[in-house]
Amino acid sequence: MHKTEHKISNKGNVLFVSFVRFVILLSALVFALAPVYWMLTISFKTEGDQFASPPLWFSFTPTLEHYYDAFVTRAFGEYLLTSAIVAVTSTVLALVIGTLAAYALARFELPFKLNRRLSLWILSTRMFPAIVTAVPLFLMMRDLQLLNTRAALIIVHTSFNLPFVVWMMRGFFADLPRDLEEAALVDGDSRLGALVRVVLPLVSPGLAATAVFCLIVSWNEFLFALVLTQTDAAMTLPVGIAGRVTQYEIKWGVMSAAASVAIVPILVFALALQKYLVRGLSMGAVKG
Amino acid sequence: MGIEFRNVTKTFGGACVVDDLSLEIRDGEFIVLLGPSGCGKTTTLRMLAGLESVTSGDIFIDGGPVNDVPTQHRDLAMVFQSYALYPHMTIAENIGYPLRVRKLDKADRAARVRRVAAMLEIESLLDRKPRQLSGGERQRVALARAIVREPRAYLMDEPLSNLDARLRVQMRGELKRLQHELGTTTIYVTHDQAEAMTLASRVAVMNKGRLQQFDTPLKIYNEPANRFVAEFVGSPSMNFIEREHVTEGIRPEHIQVLSTPEDGAIEARVYVTELMGNETFVFLSVGDNRLIAREPADFRADVDTKVWLRIATEKIHRFDPVTGESQKHIK
Repeated sequence: MHKTEHKISNKGNVLFVSFVRFVILLSALVFALAPVYWMLTISFKTEGDQFASPPLWFSFTPTLEHYYDAFVTRAFGEYLLTSAIVAVTSTVLALVIGTLAAYALARFELPFKLNRRLSLWILSTRMFPAIVTAVPLFLMMRDLQLLNTRAALIIVHTSFNLPFVVWMMRGFFADLPRDLEEAALVDGDSRLGALVRVVLPLVSPGLAATAVFCLIVSWNEFLFALVLTQTDAAMTLPVGIAGRVTQYEIKWGVMSAAASVAIVPILVFALALQKYLVRGLSMGAVKG
Repeated sequence: MGIEFRNVTKTFGGACVVDDLSLEIRDGEFIVLLGPSGCGKTTTLRMLAGLESVTSGDIFIDGGPVNDVPTQHRDLAMVFQSYALYPHMTIAENIGYPLRVRKLDKADRAARVRRVAAMLEIESLLDRKPRQLSGGERQRVALARAIVREPRAYLMDEPLSNLDARLRVQMRGELKRLQHELGTTTIYVTHDQAEAMTLASRVAVMNKGRLQQFDTPLKIYNEPANRFVAEFVGSPSMNFIEREHVTEGIRPEHIQVLSTPEDGAIEARVYVTELMGNETFVFLSVGDNRLIAREPADFRADVDTKVWLRIATEKIHRFDPVTGESQKHIK
């Protein structure tokens, strides 16, 4: 008798807890997605509907004029291409260079405690605000005649992502048993061969997670893209979008349309790698 | 031909792990490096494999110095304690890895993998991944990966220590047979003296980085060079009695426990007996000393019974009480 009551109240408790959880998650979701939703609706609204009062949340006559304006009349297609080239190239470069560096730091014993010191130096490049390097980088790129080029952005984004890649990958490598590489060496493989054939496949979830982060950082990067590029030839999407805020008017529709398109590639990429992302982010967190 | 360590020393940050090791291994020998954990035996093996650098001294393989030869060019095969199977590859890919690295063509590779798999009776596992295998099966795969090519020597680092007792004895036999058939020089590291005694053509006993004795299992057992070897090899361990200017050692099987007094027999008291199934270990107190005697399974004696010991005096080992060196050679 007593036991049954206990069970029922237990069940009630469980229901209540999951209800509270649901409410909290829902609020978080609304909080996070409401601006995105508003942006999406603006991109499909006529300029009159955009500022209707009271606001039109759901019912309005959709239009594609802003998308046409952005990608056909204006150069947003080119910005999109620049963003893609810069993001992909700098991510690949950062992964290749950073992975090799991380492997060296994780596996080779350097003299003078350099393993630890180098790692800290590399990390320290992320300890100051990015704007500190804006002027020197601008001057360097000017002297190299790389202003208004994609190459400048690729170089800067790569250097910006490198510390992140090194630290992430170093952790993944350190967690991997040395036996496997040593076995590969004894089996006759070179260091690089062992890295490519044995080590990298085993840290691929971590590699994927790192790649997604690099891509997002580069894709969203605004400051250096603004400082180093002024012409359509090397303008990225974030800078292009912000450029529609002018002295006389703010092109909300065009900006929203371009921003909505900008979300898509990262979303697709993250969804495609979702399986790896979860494993990659928890790699090293749980031992054994 | 063979493998030689010449005055090899290895230090890790000031700590000497292997101390002036000299060892000559003949072609085709089965050498066991035996010693307690931390004695430097695994480091010795890893130096031979090129996975650790040599602090000083030289290592020769087939007469050529290999100190500066990287691991992948030493042409050795190694079985790791953890087996170190590549988790993302199938068993066939694991076994075929050394051949793939050597750029053997696919058909040739598959044929050799099959042949080795058949030899070790793991053909049915070839398409699986390592995590789907039992410990014993993984052991076989690690072995298969080592013997799929003909290296200059096999290095084995406690390859049986992760197996259960029954499997260990079985694999021990198979290893011995395999080495006999292949005739390839093998260097095998273990802390298990039973493995050392059964497998080795010669045993190198190590302690605290120093080679204690390098000889056949029988010599190691019957003529230990010092007290450490005498104590480490043999189960139960040798009995030691401290006397003036000498430490005497006698193995448990050389003490006979009598229920009646006899000329020259020493009086003792039974402390406890342990029936092992096929034999009985009798723990005895003689004055302040504790001795162990090995008796037949049907031996029975109550605790604290008075007994007499007949000791085979010709089997007594004598050691220097200070250095622990055997005095047999001196005499």
